[in-house]
Amino acid sequence: MRTLTLNRLLWICGALLAVLFVVVVLALKVGAVPISMTDLAWNLVRVIVGRDTQLSSEYGLIIFGLRLPRIVLGIFVGAALSVSGAGFQALLRNPLADPYVLGVSSGGSFGAILALIFLPYMPLVTPLAAFVAATATVAMVFFLGRRQGQLDNTTLLLAGVITNSFFSAVIIFLMTTLKGGEDRGMLYWLMGDLSTPLAASVRWMFGLGLIIGIGAIYTTAADLNLITMGEREAMHLGVDVTRVKLVVYVSASLLTGLAVSVSGAIGFVGLLVPHAMRLLFGSDYRVLIPTSAIGGAIAVVVADTLARKVVAPTELPVGAVLAIFGAPFFLYLLRRRLA
Amino acid sequence: MKIGRGPATVIGLKSRFWPSVRIPAAPPLTRSSREGVRLEAPFSRGAFLFAGRSENIFRVMRTLILKRSHGMGWRRLALALALLVWAQFPAGGQTSPSQQTNAERDKTTPLAPRMVTDEVGRHVEIPQPVRRIVSLAPNVTEMIYALGAESRLVGDSDACDYPPDAQKKTKVGGPFTPNLEQIVALKPDLVLIAANSGNRRETADALDLLHIPTYATNAFTIEDILKSIVDLGDVIGATEQARTVTASMRAKMDQLRTKLADTKPAHVLFVIWQEPLISIGRNTFLADALRLAGAESIIDTRQDWPHVNMEEVVHLQPEYLVFAPDHSSEMATHLAALRSTPGWRDLKAVQENRVAVVSDAINRPAPRLIDAVVELARQLHPEAFANAPCGGGASHANGKAR
Repeated sequence: MRTLTLNRLLWICGALLAVLFVVVVLALKVGAVPISMTDLAWNLVRVIVGRDTQLSSEYGLIIFGLRLPRIVLGIFVGAALSVSGAGFQALLRNPLADPYVLGVSSGGSFGAILALIFLPYMPLVTPLAAFVAATATVAMVFFLGRRQGQLDNTTLLLAGVITNSFFSAVIIFLMTTLKGGEDRGMLYWLMGDLSTPLAASVRWMFGLGLIIGIGAIYTTAADLNLITMGEREAMHLGVDVTRVKLVVYVSASLLTGLAVSVSGAIGFVGLLVPHAMRLLFGSDYRVLIPTSAIGGAIAVVVADTLARKVVAPTELPVGAVLAIFGAPFFLYLLRRRLA
Repeated sequence: MKIGRGPATVIGLKSRFWPSVRIPAAPPLTRSSREGVRLEAPFSRGAFLFAGRSENIFRVMRTLILKRSHGMGWRRLALALALLVWAQFPAGGQTSPSQQTNAERDKTTPLAPRMVTDEVGRHVEIPQPVRRIVSLAPNVTEMIYALGAESRLVGDSDACDYPPDAQKKTKVGGPFTPNLEQIVALKPDLVLIAANSGNRRETADALDLLHIPTYATNAFTIEDILKSIVDLGDVIGATEQARTVTASMRAKMDQLRTKLADTKPAHVLFVIWQEPLISIGRNTFLADALRLAGAESIIDTRQDWPHVNMEEVVHLQPEYLVFAPDHSSEMATHLAALRSTPGWRDLKAVQENRVAVVSDAINRPAPRLIDAVVELARQLHPEAFANAPCGGGASHANGKAR
């Protein structure tokens, strides 16, 4: 393994950010309504120098009102899910771990559906309920997953999987007994959806939570490298394993809860992106966490752009697009690595 | 809470579907809502994305514009003039048709927008007159056509297939996942949705965030449908048409009621979906339509679209099965298949071929529904229609042929 220098880290992240920038520009251009980027730039310049009082409505509402917020949401969600995926994979020392493995998504969905039943259609209540329920589920799984006061990986994983199935079953039960109408929005929400613009306040909160969550996980990156070698070994090397696990667990859950609360359960990205980044840049967590964040953003923005464009003006669920295009790409990386 | 610029309020009205909603409470007389939307929306949605200095530029410009629009008369005049000039010289060099319509709109003096409460209790500010309508639900599209406002319908959903002309309108995606970009690009004065037939609340929320007036219909009975048509006509300025349409619907309903006055309601199973079996609940407009057609559903539940157990159906033995297929041509082979399907073949209605097949118009809370109901009544109570050239059904009361 090559030693990590600040230079190398900056180069890798810079390259990925450049890719992300290109992807964002392309995503801004592509959509159901054709838009000329040069006209947009010209329009922007005229507004800034004061020739025009406002952007024309195509550029204003469609680009800045719809596409850019959606792309930003995609970046947020992709980064949150990928980093929490990387975190859970280190924490559980299980390559199959993903952000939803501990029941976060079904817990969050359960909260959202309860909100829909008891506080139907109050603005902001549904995402809030989803977030609270996701966090509560995580806390519950955390207590179920302890053995003799210690967080035990296998017990934790099993508790998470069982909690997941339990809440999925409860959701199906609730959805079949609902009066009608209410469940349709719910169904789409369960598949993962980026199409609904967020209120600005929610976006700020999400951004803040994202920075805190990713930052907290990044502070443990060096310790995570040791923990992946084995908890006992890490402890002997002076790592406070309990504290690291708690930090990663809480932050990864926070990130997942945030993502679930605004976009529903977008699958696959949390599993795919960290592994792809490992195959590309090695498994040093100090590189893996920032690259996962940027890579996740790229993956979700690309998938969402395809979801918007392929059968426009109808939209595909972004999770399905991720799996369709992500799985073959992932297998290609895997085979290339083995060859 | 605040949404975008300007004061916004949360109204605690409770209704069955969407109890409360935010409204951008623009002072109606200082500026037209349309102007307001064009002025503030692009910045309010996009500004947070610009960091540092450029954000400040946007902020200054935004406050400048907003102050002006609230300011003295001559300033607003100057702004409107600037807008007009701007609209005449489009920034991109090429003149798109939508920009032209924008310019036309600015030239005419706008009327004061109207505040209305829609059928789910949302307060909506609708600019007057309504010139560009987008409909996201097939039944609402049918209503617009019935109201003779189809020339103002600039876009509709993939599911809007009736009348055939509706298929030629610009499509904005499925009713469930409409493409917001496409809706915005059509520059609608008003977006119409149907709360209980295929549209999502999230769509209305999203359109609210974009300051696009969105009016939701929500019909649970035939009376509701009539009221929807009247209210919709009122909102889009087709009051007379709405009166004519509803009067003709009422006439048909009265005629039907007279004919069926002496019949006993038939016990039917309305089959919405066969695998799994889905029927209708008591609070749906379809249950009301069945009542009008001289029938009642054997399924009585508060769930709107209940999954029904076949055992229960065999136990209740409906007198008639009612199907409303999309493709009625396939119905014959379908019925033949039912005779050999376990469960279904145990139904006397299947064995004795007591199956009513009606046009799928019955599935849409729109004017055509009444015709489909008459069609259904004719199949369920042929005796009431046997020799009644004009509605004197009472004279030959002979109950039901059973």
